[in-house]
Amino acid sequence: MHFLSSKKLFIGVTLLLGVIAYVVFHKPLEKIDYSSQVKPILNKNCIACHGGVKQKGGFSVLFREDAMANTKSGKPAIIPGSPETSEFIKRITSKDPEERMPYKHTPLSKEDIQILTQWIKEGAQWGQHWAYTEIKSEKIPDYSSSWIKNEVDQFVYQKLKQEHLSPSDEADKSTLMRRVSLDLTGLPPTQLVAKRFLADDSPKAYENLVDDLLASPSYGERWTSLWLDLARYADTKGYEKDGSRNIWKYRDWLIRAFNADKPYNEFIKEQIAGDLMPNPDDAKYIATSFNRNTMTNDEGGTDDEEFRTAAVMDRTNTTWSALMGTTFNCVQCHSHPYDPFKHDEYYKFLSFFNNSRDEDVDIEYPLLRQYNSTDSLKLNTLVDWIKTNASPEEGKKYYTFLKTWQPTINSLQGDKYINGALLGCTAGLRNLGSFRLKNVVLDQKEQLMLRYNARLNTGNVYIYLDSLKGKLIKTVALKSNQTPFWKLQTIDLPAISGTHNLFFKFHNPAIQSLDETGVRFDWFAFGTKFPGKGKPGYDDAMKSFAELMEAPVETIPVMVENNKDQFRTSHVFVRGNRLVEGAVVTPDVPHILNPMPADAPKNRLGMAMWLTDEKNPLVARTMVNRLWEQLFGYGIAETLEDLGSQGIPPTHRALLDYLSWKFMHDYQWSLKKVLKEIVLSATYRQESKVTDGLLKKDPMNKFFARGPRVRLSAEQIRDQSLAVSNVLSSKMYGKSVMPYQPEGIWRSPYSGDVWKKSQGEDQFRRAVYTYWKRTAPYPSMITFDGGAREVCITRRIRTDTPLQALTTLNDSTYLVMARYFASRINEVGGAEVNQQIAKGYELMMYKPISKARLNALMELYNTSYTKFRNDAKASALMAGQLEKPDKPKAASLVMVASAMLNLDEWLNKN
Amino acid sequence: MSDHHHDIFKLHTPEFNQLNNRLDRRNFLTKTSLGIGALALGSLLGNDLLGKGVGAKGDIPAATLEEEILRAIPHIAPRAKRVVYLFMSGGPSQFETFDYKPKLVEMYGKGLPDSVRQGQRLTSMSANQSTLPIVPSVYKFRQYGESQTWLSELLPYTSAVVDDLCIIKSIHSEAINHDPAITFFQTGNQLPGRPSIGSWVSYGLGSDNKNLPSFIVLVSKNAVKDQPLYARLWGNGFLPSEHQGVQFRAGKNPVLYLDNPEGYDGADRKQMLEYLSKLNILQNEPYGDPEVQARIAQYEMAYRMQTSVPEVMDTSDEPDEVFNLYGPDSRDSGSYAANCLLARKLLEKDVKFIQLYHQGWDHHGGLPAGMAKQCKDTDQPTAALLKDLKRRGLLEDTLVIWGGEFGRTVYSQGKLQANDYGRDHHPRCFTMWMAGAGVKPGISYGETDDFSYNVVKNPVHVHDFQATLLNLMGVDHERLTFKFQGRRFRLTDVEGNVVKDILT
Repeated sequence: MHFLSSKKLFIGVTLLLGVIAYVVFHKPLEKIDYSSQVKPILNKNCIACHGGVKQKGGFSVLFREDAMANTKSGKPAIIPGSPETSEFIKRITSKDPEERMPYKHTPLSKEDIQILTQWIKEGAQWGQHWAYTEIKSEKIPDYSSSWIKNEVDQFVYQKLKQEHLSPSDEADKSTLMRRVSLDLTGLPPTQLVAKRFLADDSPKAYENLVDDLLASPSYGERWTSLWLDLARYADTKGYEKDGSRNIWKYRDWLIRAFNADKPYNEFIKEQIAGDLMPNPDDAKYIATSFNRNTMTNDEGGTDDEEFRTAAVMDRTNTTWSALMGTTFNCVQCHSHPYDPFKHDEYYKFLSFFNNSRDEDVDIEYPLLRQYNSTDSLKLNTLVDWIKTNASPEEGKKYYTFLKTWQPTINSLQGDKYINGALLGCTAGLRNLGSFRLKNVVLDQKEQLMLRYNARLNTGNVYIYLDSLKGKLIKTVALKSNQTPFWKLQTIDLPAISGTHNLFFKFHNPAIQSLDETGVRFDWFAFGTKFPGKGKPGYDDAMKSFAELMEAPVETIPVMVENNKDQFRTSHVFVRGNRLVEGAVVTPDVPHILNPMPADAPKNRLGMAMWLTDEKNPLVARTMVNRLWEQLFGYGIAETLEDLGSQGIPPTHRALLDYLSWKFMHDYQWSLKKVLKEIVLSATYRQESKVTDGLLKKDPMNKFFARGPRVRLSAEQIRDQSLAVSNVLSSKMYGKSVMPYQPEGIWRSPYSGDVWKKSQGEDQFRRAVYTYWKRTAPYPSMITFDGGAREVCITRRIRTDTPLQALTTLNDSTYLVMARYFASRINEVGGAEVNQQIAKGYELMMYKPISKARLNALMELYNTSYTKFRNDAKASALMAGQLEKPDKPKAASLVMVASAMLNLDEWLNKN
Repeated sequence: MSDHHHDIFKLHTPEFNQLNNRLDRRNFLTKTSLGIGALALGSLLGNDLLGKGVGAKGDIPAATLEEEILRAIPHIAPRAKRVVYLFMSGGPSQFETFDYKPKLVEMYGKGLPDSVRQGQRLTSMSANQSTLPIVPSVYKFRQYGESQTWLSELLPYTSAVVDDLCIIKSIHSEAINHDPAITFFQTGNQLPGRPSIGSWVSYGLGSDNKNLPSFIVLVSKNAVKDQPLYARLWGNGFLPSEHQGVQFRAGKNPVLYLDNPEGYDGADRKQMLEYLSKLNILQNEPYGDPEVQARIAQYEMAYRMQTSVPEVMDTSDEPDEVFNLYGPDSRDSGSYAANCLLARKLLEKDVKFIQLYHQGWDHHGGLPAGMAKQCKDTDQPTAALLKDLKRRGLLEDTLVIWGGEFGRTVYSQGKLQANDYGRDHHPRCFTMWMAGAGVKPGISYGETDDFSYNVVKNPVHVHDFQATLLNLMGVDHERLTFKFQGRRFRLTDVEGNVVKDILT
């Protein structure tokens, strides 16, 4: 701190008095609101140097307790009630450039200084940023207008009045129908639905249409597309060679969940912690694959702990950005620079995720093992037997073990190799080779189950306690024959208490050389003996168990929690560096938000309960805002990914809160009900025409004086063109498919994976079923703003590029669609070409074509026909393989169809 | 270290992006050759838009907002108008190329001293190796050029242009495995999700060519594909997708879907598009949506690309002398040599950022033979590109970069044999070079110890390299930021210092 010269002090004080006088005498004093008036000034001008990252001069304005604390000068900078003596005010009003804050930046405006001064005078109360305050039931503004259809409109109307804008009329029936159908189902309405709606003049016609659409199975597919971005879903593991991952059942789980309108709180809870819910069935396990969509690194020579940690951080970040619209990753390295989250709170929250069993192993353990129906029955019988003859707990334990092979210790945990190495994720030993398993809890462990493969028929594994020279506790004679490749073997262990290092040494006298690998271990399971010995049926139960362990299964990566033997302690990473461990932390949620519910355990399940607690201020708002964005093109708060103080403030905060509250309470977390309320509003139904005046006043349609007009998503563009061409497959669910893509897109040299074009109707499935390879995503999806899904995509930014034009003009997929479309209109359109074109337009837009449009398209047809008539070869090529007697006509119609599928009104919702 | 939360940053509100889009469109429509970023960096690029006053014509209503933005943008005089980055994927060994270590000969086969290794991390591929035997280069070194630079015998053509190179021997990275290392180099972060260098450049500087993308990617078809490449390396991360690199591929269809669909000769494509425009205009009469004009413009651009791209890809009218310069492979479209030649043509068309990828440098074993092949495939075309640019006067404002994602270890991975050995990944020091616009020619910068294991003088971190690259293009790496999820991100994360010593 500098000494002030008396002159400077004089000037400073004069100015200060001036400001105070101005405040006192010139303004009617309405109490200053921290969040809307003070926080923006602090964020913009102060917090970069006096916030969560830097606290220059020992002063920070992030939290009230910091701002009121003594600074380096020994005194607090803000003295509540006394702006005259607050150094804070002196500094922002100082004339001395060395003193004046913000240092070396533009001084604060008079108005800003006035606000801060009055705020301190009023006691410098802190307020909570809107998005972190509990959602309250909002009072509905009371306006009467014939335009208003429901409560949504009351809020919108209020704002329109304030902005001196008027709402638009309702869009015509056809336009509105296409809009709402694409929005709710991702597809244009079927001819049947369209016919019914267009013929229905009753007041309930539109609502009936909406109900039809919400009940359509296509609804689930459309909203799953959105969720796959958030869940960073892909069919590959993401790093380096980017091998396949079998996780499509999670996508199907989503489709079913959306279609069943699973309440959003349950929907989230199951995805975060389905495995920890009581008696999880396959569906609950599969829901947790949400968090197994993180990437797995199979590259040779990588440190798996590094990438396990990366996955755990990704889960933390995704929970916050996707579900709570909050940038939490800032807090990885330091306290949040702008929002009230502290550095260690990141790691407290991360520790909710830090005890799942996955360890970046290439086979992606833990996997849910799904048995065929016979084996499922066998499993149920076995588990019932154990429950009856041992205990319910034992039954549950065996159920989990057979369904997930957990708890087991992966070979990855081995170290101290001698004449051996970690091969992928297996421990490979050569003759006389050995390795160590660290810190194995041996209390009450009666046996060890090993999964391994050995090359030759003889060979022993010797297990030593604590060192290679330690006590030999067991000699295991390895089993070996060709099938199955992996062997399971269970051996009894002597009673040993405590935690020990175990050394495994391999010897096979038949192997002469020292550099041939003799055995590879996959995993180790230490446990108790099979229960119920002596009880009737024991032998059969043992046999069932052994059979089920090796039964053919389908697998999918899921979440399973560590048991206490394998519990990981979590630390703060100093400056975000995982190699520099700070204080130990235990699971908790940030102090600024709602506390964990009283009955919530401190694990993932408890965290999921906290997320879906009605007191959580972020979860409902984030989802409602996202739904709004999907329907209107922009969120009520445009930055879906950041509702924090750095995000763009909502245009209609009360509306957002009103809908969020209703979502949780009246609607019991039903997504369909919220969507219905929004699409039934007059706001949504408006026509999207815009005048120059309105465009100038509200270019981005933030006040909703008109309906939404935005380009469709990558998925919608593909799907609707398939639909109108009459080739869209209605098949749902199943393995991802590989529709046509040009050669040479995949660049993974040694994984052996290839893009193998799917056959038959699988060529024409909805985009949500397209195989998603992270390092080489499907080209047209990427061109239309899809992402690679390596990490959570919170929002797609719409662009308009020549590559998009090239795709819909030239991609063979689109030419094929144009051919089918041409063929369709040729069949159903009538005898004359102009009728056929008119019919085509009607099929696309559900309304008659205008004369001018028809003329333009007819001119195009005639020009093409003149050419094709004299070129049999070109006609045949263009018309394609469809059987057409008049090839030049067919070819010309394909040209017209292709142009129609490129119309701006087709690529947009209008 | 600088601080990402303390930048005076460019405004990246949606309004700004909207504005960008409008400006872009306007530029396009009025056939101005300057992009948005060029506008941003205004006068320094000799941008006449400023002089004329933005918003004087076209559909930009008023100049106030853009003027405000322009004033907020920092000014560094750009020296490079374009960049060609020759990315040697897999991690070329510095020992057999640029970093001459004569003392290793007498240490042949001895273990790497602990005092050198200092407990540094090894990949788990050699972490279990019982010994780490030192292996010197099997290839001889000699001094070349006026600068008397030591180079390996594997680089006869490079040695002829060595006086144009600024060789940086002290590059170091943080990542030790391919995927994180290459992602780090290309996006500034080891984990995926960030925009690539080229997309940052496209975002910040726009395009100087109205018929070609501003960021073009070329991948050698003839390289040993020992390591994969990922679309994210030229991806746009969280930037709008128009900034992603466009791959030009060898063969008939250089840009995806550029070619008319099979069976359609495209002779009447122009007519079809005219009708399409007409229809779109008709349709827009009641709607009045400015986005429709934009779409029409993009369709026109697509149509022009259908001509401009094959034109630029076609090297058949190059004289024999040029093919001789680049070597025999240069007639084989898609080879590294052909890509170097193509790069020159693209640079002539003022494409802003061209990235070539050549795989095959990952020599865990069989390194002597592997390096000989890699150098043979790349040495002549690389040197030819420099020569060709120089004689056309393009090297003055074109930056050429050569390098991989990390270097290799001084010790042999696997068995050390008389004439065969391998080297593991080594991120702690390796060599890259830059040449052309704004960098000092004929110098070597930075030094490594006798084992090329640690940097002993003038270390250059990956973020420093990135900062320097942007600086040469006139961009302050701390100020080219994009706000995403509430944070202002930049290529160099929270670090990076411009290596001023190598700038002219």
